[in-house]
Amino acid sequence: MLLGKTTRQKGLKIIIVGCGKVGVAILKQLCNEGHDITIIDKNPEKVSIYANLYDVMGIIGNGASHSVQMEAGIENTDLIISVTDSDELNILCCTIAKQVGDCAAIARVRNPEYSKEVGYLKDKLGLTMIINPELETAAEIARILYLPTALEINSFAHGSAEMIKFKIPEKNRLAGISIAELGKQLADKSNPINILICAIEREGEVFIPSGNFVMEPFDIVSFVSTRDMSKAFMEYIGFKTARVKDTLIIGGGDVAYYLAKQLINMGIDVKIIESNKERCEELSILLPKAIVICGDGTDQDILKEEGIAYTESFVPLTGIDEENILLTLHARQHSNSKVITKINRSNFKEVISNLDLGSVVYPSNITAEAIIAYVRAKKNSDSSNIETLYHMFDSRVEAIEFHVGENSAVTDISLKDLKLKKNLLITFINRNGSIILPSGQDSIHVGDTVMIVTTHTGFKDITDILE
Amino acid sequence: MNRRIILYILGHVVKLEGVLMMLPCLVALIYKEKAGLYFLAVGAFCVLAGALLTIKKPSNHVFYLKEGCIATAFSWILLSFFGCLPFVFSGEIASFTDALFETISGFTTTGASILNDVEQMSKSMLFWRSFTHWIGGMGVLVFLLAIIPLSGGSHINLMKAESPGPSVGKLVPKVRYTARILYIIYFALTLIEIIFLLAGKMPLFDSLCTAFGTAGTGGFGTKNDSLMGFSPFIQWVVTIFMILFGVNFNAYYFIIFRNIKKAISMEEVRYYFLIIFTAIGIIFINLLNTAERISDAIRQASFQVASIITTTGFSTVDFNMWSQTSKSVLVLLMFVGACAGSTGGGIKVSRFVVLVKTVGKELGSYLHPKGIKKIKIDGKPVEHEVVRAINVYFITFMIIFAASVFLVSFEGKDMVTNFTAVAATINNIGPGLELVGPTQNFSVFGIFSKYVLMFDMLAGRLELFPLLLIFNPVMWKDFFKGKTRR
Repeated sequence: MLLGKTTRQKGLKIIIVGCGKVGVAILKQLCNEGHDITIIDKNPEKVSIYANLYDVMGIIGNGASHSVQMEAGIENTDLIISVTDSDELNILCCTIAKQVGDCAAIARVRNPEYSKEVGYLKDKLGLTMIINPELETAAEIARILYLPTALEINSFAHGSAEMIKFKIPEKNRLAGISIAELGKQLADKSNPINILICAIEREGEVFIPSGNFVMEPFDIVSFVSTRDMSKAFMEYIGFKTARVKDTLIIGGGDVAYYLAKQLINMGIDVKIIESNKERCEELSILLPKAIVICGDGTDQDILKEEGIAYTESFVPLTGIDEENILLTLHARQHSNSKVITKINRSNFKEVISNLDLGSVVYPSNITAEAIIAYVRAKKNSDSSNIETLYHMFDSRVEAIEFHVGENSAVTDISLKDLKLKKNLLITFINRNGSIILPSGQDSIHVGDTVMIVTTHTGFKDITDILE
Repeated sequence: MNRRIILYILGHVVKLEGVLMMLPCLVALIYKEKAGLYFLAVGAFCVLAGALLTIKKPSNHVFYLKEGCIATAFSWILLSFFGCLPFVFSGEIASFTDALFETISGFTTTGASILNDVEQMSKSMLFWRSFTHWIGGMGVLVFLLAIIPLSGGSHINLMKAESPGPSVGKLVPKVRYTARILYIIYFALTLIEIIFLLAGKMPLFDSLCTAFGTAGTGGFGTKNDSLMGFSPFIQWVVTIFMILFGVNFNAYYFIIFRNIKKAISMEEVRYYFLIIFTAIGIIFINLLNTAERISDAIRQASFQVASIITTTGFSTVDFNMWSQTSKSVLVLLMFVGACAGSTGGGIKVSRFVVLVKTVGKELGSYLHPKGIKKIKIDGKPVEHEVVRAINVYFITFMIIFAASVFLVSFEGKDMVTNFTAVAATINNIGPGLELVGPTQNFSVFGIFSKYVLMFDMLAGRLELFPLLLIFNPVMWKDFFKGKTRR
C-alpha cells in the first residue's frame, strides 16, 4: 500500500522490548531520528508513560511471546532490540523474532556466565549483535585507568586511534596559546608529535575549534591521535602518563568483576570491597589475584583501613548512583587518586556535570550508542557505513567513524577543496590500519575509514559532511 | 502551560476552515449563487487570521493532555463561530443564535436543525451544512495531525481529546500515519457511498450531501422530509452505510492490513451488531400490525434503528407515530450510541460493555467477597484506571443530562420533548420525539434553551471532559501564570 511505502522511506520499523533505562535511552534517540518504533513491556504503566511521551506504539505483554510479537507487527519489522533485565528472555525474544520476522536482532546479555559464549550464541542463533553493558562499561573504565590524567578515552579504528578528553589545569603551557601555535610547537620538536584537537568545551558551550582558537585554563579539550602519539602529547603538556598501579573498587557487581579481570590482566593490583559475604566468596574464586574485602564500602573507617588515602585510583561501582557520587566526593577530599564514577540513571546529567566529579561513565548511554550506531548504519547501507559513533559532551557533539565503500562526491578530492559544513572536522583517515591525521592536501579514498567530529546530529553517510 | 502551541494549533484550525470554505464557494459558482461571496469573504478572513497565528512556529512543541484538551475545546468553538458567519451574513439564517446552533449541530454531527424549510436554502449553504458533518465526523484535529508536522510524541494528546471512545489506541507507531490511515478509510468509504447513491439515481448534489451526512453520522438532509422521498434502494444504501460508519475504524484497518479474523473478534463490534439486530427485530414485530407490506416494515425498522444507534438522525418515517414500545427502544438506543473510534456519538457500545461487565463483577463479589476477577475486553484485562474513567464518564454524563433537562424545562414544554431534545443533542443524534420529532425541528425552543442544547452538543461530541475543563478555574490560573514560570 501507499502508506507502507511512505513509512518505509522515513525510517526503519523497530521493536524495542523492555522499557528500562537502556530501552528508554535508545527509544529517545531513535525516536528523534524518525524511526517507526513499537515498544513492548510487561508493565502497563511504563508502556502508557512512554507511548504518551514519544511518538511510538505501546504494547503490553511478554516480548518473547509469539502472539505479542505478531501484534507488534513483527512480520514487517526491520529490527528488534531486546533489552529486558532477563538475559534468557532477551535471547528467546530475538530467536523467536528471527524465526517469525526474519529481522535483525540485538539482545542484551550480561550474565558473566554467558559472556564467554557470546560469539557462539551470536553465530548459532543468528543474532546481529549481543551487547553487554557491564562489559562495555568496564572496558571504558579500564581505558581511563590506563591513562588516568584523561577524563575520557574512546577508541576508534579498532583500537588504533584514540580520542582523549582532558581538562587544562590552571598553569599549563597550553593555556593562552592558539591551536595553530600549538601545531607549530609540536611540529618543531625533534620528533614531531601529531595530534588533532577536535572539540573544546568552555563554560558549557562546545566549540569545534579553528586554527586561531585560543585555549584557556579549565577548558575541556578532546583530541585524536594514535596511542603512542597521544602519550607523547600528554607528556609534552606535563601530564603524567603512567597508568595507575592499583585500584580500589567499591561494590562487587558484574561491572566490578569485568573491570577487575581486565585490570589484573593489565597488571594492576585490584582491591574490591563488597558487603555481601556470598558474593565475596564467589569473586575470590573467580578472581584469585584480587583482594576481596567483605565490608560496607560506604563506611569511612573501612575505606581508611583499606588505604583510600594511598590508592592511585578509586572506582565506586555500587548499584546506587547517590552512593557512588558521595563516595566520589569523599575520595576527592581524602586522597589524590583518580576517581571514576559510574552513574546508571542519566536523568540528572546536567546537575552531575556541574559537580566536577572528574570522569563519569553512563552504562545506559554506552549501550544505547552502540545500538544507535548500528541502526544508523543499517538504515543507510549503500555507499558508506557508520562503524562507530560516540556522543561527546552530553550528545552535543558526535564523533562518527564512516567506512567509505564506494566513490562519491567526497572521494579523491583534496580536503581543502571540499566544501565542508561548518562546525565539522575530519579528524583522521584510517588507511589499511595506518592513521593519517589529515591536512588540506590529503584526500579520502575508497576503502578508508574516516572519522569526523561535528556538532550537527543525525549524520548517516559520509556525504553528509558536505554543505 | 504552553500557550503558544495552543494558539499555533488554533491558527491551523482556523486556516483549515478557511480553505475548506472554498468548497461551498465552488458549489456556488456552479449553481451561480451569490451566497458564494460570503464564503469567499469569511474563508479569506479565516486563512488570513490563521496565517497570522501560525507565522512563527513555537519552539516548545511539548504539550500535555491539558493543552490537548484546551486546544480541542477552543478549536471546536472557533470552528463553529466562523462556520456560522456565512449563514448570518447572507441572511439565510438571520439570527446569530440560530446560525450558531445550526453550525454546532453540523460540526458535532448532531443534525438537529432549526430550519423550518430546508429546501428554500441556497445550494451552497446546504452543501456547507452537510460538509460540516463530514469535517466534524472524523475530527478536525485528527486531520491536522495527518498534515501538519509536529515533532515530539506528545500530540497523541490532541487525538485523545478529540477521538471518541474510552481509550485511544494507535494503529501504527506514528500518530501522523495513524491519522492518515483513519482519513483514508473515511474518505474511501464516503466515496463508495456516493457511487452507490449515484447508482440509485440520486442527483449528484443530494448524493454528496447525503453521503457527508452519513459519513459523519450527522443527519442534515437536503429535503424537508429527510430521506422519506427517496427510493427503497437508496434508503437501504444509507442504512448499510450508517451502520458501517458506526463501526470502530480499527476494524477496517484490520480488514485491510492484517486479518479479518481479528476484526470479527472485536468484542465491541460484535455487541454493536447484536444490539442493532435485536432492536430491529423488536421494532419489526411491532410494526407488522400497522405496516402495509413486510418489506416496508423491515426497511423502516432497519433504517430508523441504524439512524438512531449510529447517532445519524436521518429518517424515512415519522417514528413519532410509532407504538410506545418502538419509541422506547429508539430512545434507549440514543444513549447506547455507536462504537468507540467511529464517527458516531452517544455513550459508546464499548463503555456499556464495560459497565455491564462491572455490574456482573459486582454481583460476583456478593457471592465471593474476597474473590478477584478482572474485567476483560477482547480477552485482555481492562485496567482499573479505564474502568474508573468509564464510571466517572457515565456519572458526569448523567449529571449534565439531568441539569440540561432541568434548564430546558423552564420553557414549559412537555417532558418527552425536553427529555428527547436533550438526549438527541448530547448524543449527537438530531431528531427526538414529540415537538422535536423527525418531522419537526428545534426552532420551537427559546434562545436560552438553544444555548443549553449547543453546550450539550459540544460536550457530547468532545466526550465531556475537554469542554468541562475550560470551566475549571484552576485551569485558567495555570493558563495565565505560564509566563512567569519560564
